Amino acid sequence: MTAVHQFVPTLAPWDAVGGHYLAVQAALREAGYRSDIYAHEAKDPYKKRALPYRSFDGTGGEPTWLMYHSSIGSPVAEFVLGRREPVIVDYHNITPASFYARWEPYVVGQLALGRRQLAKLAVRASLGLADSAYNAGELRELEYDRVAVVPILFDTATIGRTAADPATVNRLTTAKARGGSDWLFVGRVSPNKAQHDIVKAFAAYRRFHDPDARLHLLGSASSDAYLTSLEKFVIALDLEDAVDIAGPVTEAEKNAYYETADAFVVCSEHEGFCVPLLEAMHHGVPIVAYAAAAVPETLGSAGLLLPSKDPFTVAGAVARVLGEPGLRTALAAAGRERLGRFDLAASCRTLVTEVGALVGS
Amino acid sequence: MPEPVLDLQRVRREIEAEVRARRAAGEYPPGFSRDLDELFARFSPPEASDDFDAAVERAEEAISMELVIPTASNKPGVGLFKRVLAKLLGWYHVFVVQQVSALGAAITHALRLLGNRVDELERTSGHTERARSEGARIPADRDDATWEGVVTRALTGCTGRVAVCESGDGVLLAALGQAGVDAYGVEPRFVVADAAIAAGLEVRVDDVVGHLRAVAPGDLAAVVLRGCVERLPVGEVLDLVDLATVRLAPGGLLVVASVSPEAWGRGRTSVEADLAPGRPLHASTWAALLTAREFDGIETQAFATGDHLQPLPSTHPDAGVLNDNITRISEALFGSSSYVVVGRRPISTPTSTS
Repeated sequence: MTAVHQFVPTLAPWDAVGGHYLAVQAALREAGYRSDIYAHEAKDPYKKRALPYRSFDGTGGEPTWLMYHSSIGSPVAEFVLGRREPVIVDYHNITPASFYARWEPYVVGQLALGRRQLAKLAVRASLGLADSAYNAGELRELEYDRVAVVPILFDTATIGRTAADPATVNRLTTAKARGGSDWLFVGRVSPNKAQHDIVKAFAAYRRFHDPDARLHLLGSASSDAYLTSLEKFVIALDLEDAVDIAGPVTEAEKNAYYETADAFVVCSEHEGFCVPLLEAMHHGVPIVAYAAAAVPETLGSAGLLLPSKDPFTVAGAVARVLGEPGLRTALAAAGRERLGRFDLAASCRTLVTEVGALVGS
Repeated sequence: MPEPVLDLQRVRREIEAEVRARRAAGEYPPGFSRDLDELFARFSPPEASDDFDAAVERAEEAISMELVIPTASNKPGVGLFKRVLAKLLGWYHVFVVQQVSALGAAITHALRLLGNRVDELERTSGHTERARSEGARIPADRDDATWEGVVTRALTGCTGRVAVCESGDGVLLAALGQAGVDAYGVEPRFVVADAAIAAGLEVRVDDVVGHLRAVAPGDLAAVVLRGCVERLPVGEVLDLVDLATVRLAPGGLLVVASVSPEAWGRGRTSVEADLAPGRPLHASTWAALLTAREFDGIETQAFATGDHLQPLPSTHPDAGVLNDNITRISEALFGSSSYVVVGRRPISTPTSTS
């Protein structure tokens, strides 16, 4: 039996790539490969799903491939580089360090290390897998010989499966009853996701379109300095009653926000895939997004893509979508149709085909 | 009954047209976006790459390492264990911290010395930043009426966004809009930009290089470079052409519209010429730059000044010889006033993310 073992920096339950590692393992095992996960760190409740990466000794006696998942600098990459087994790299994108330079200088080194390791792995990798064509482009620039796009293995059927938290729904619908629309963005509070640009557009929207509108920003902060600046910015704009920087929320609370949202607004400058777009599609929330990085590829024609983050343009786009019921309905329908293209079973088949073509069975 | 096709391109164009109209009507204040930018900038840390002293100060602050080892824990007994361990290993912790701090202090001191030397070099050789800001105040020659037709013809039929850098008062931008080209302007001087915005044109108040860096690679159908190419230092012009190339979609057009170096020299006062950090390039230099970057179909069109020395009447006995010389002198004195160079980015070049 051939083994394809995964090597990951961190296995954690709260991010999309964590679920991806487990889905890859399941798909590989189902295809007849032996497949374990080796991690630098595994968080509860996944602690028992991964082995310490240094415990891998490659003495199984079977043909063995190492699949390294790249998303940040990690000692696991150095470990993989030092092994003799052939390597597959699965690239989930590394946020360019420049986004963090002035906010979290200590992160810059880790991100830059990740990019250096990704470049070094090009020489060793027999195959580069990428979540998106955008990520695949980056691998080709690093001269990976063989590159294939395999969407992130994300079970879209699980979106919205958890019932919306009634208390949150109640709070949000009570506010909505007083008038005004609800903007939503879900994602880490991070400079590359540019929540400050959403706030700027929202300020324009409140002033010129809907003075009672509300904005909800969900997600934990990956930069405390950026979060602090964002909070000060909101206060200086006198929008603290209208902008809700909710931080990390439970799945049930998140679903409540989606259920009551009128528009999902994205101003990110860098996204390797952007899973929340799929969540918004599932919930039928119309999407208005700045066309940058992998966002156009994930969104397709299921949302209004804007070439500019000019606050008037973003605000005008949201006003247009919300003011034209036909457009709103059409976008929601297009979103649901688009979501079908990220079918887990199809993505698993693509993964197994690509790996099988290289590794054999 | 089949569902109507969702024409999002049309919706986007209508949204942008409405924004332009509301700007033109004065409904959207020109300074609104800028005020938001400035307000957020007030709460943002200084850009490390912009402020050397602030960056070194941050490094110096980071040198002071925490000597107190954190020992708190939610788990019973673990806190006590950590405290015992901290007590036992405290001497080693202090030893390591002192060495790391000494290394950090030595590096930042060396950086300070290096910074002082660079300051000295800038003082003696001319400070680029100062020269650039002085140069930015100099009104660049804008021969838009001459270029308008050529640039518009070159860009007609472009499908995708066209960035006009710098857009100035917006004459060229307006002409492109009338020709159905999806063009927007980038103009660093807000007074000039505001006038164009007030006329209903889409103009971003931004530095050209800063704007192009923010645009995703391969996102633009065409880039028009004007104004800034007449005054940037050569190194920055080379950076600019590389940046613009990467931002162009494969098959995208790069258009350079500039006054000629000769006309630039004639049109300056000595003060303006001396303080300008850069000069316009010759059209042939632009053609060479684009050729080196594998652009296809490079075309150059020069525009004459209209000035020339009067030839002698043909009745003059030496008219033939003298008029040939007069023509040469006239060419040397007046030459072409401006030019447009157009090149197409090769389709096969892979998109970079720099």
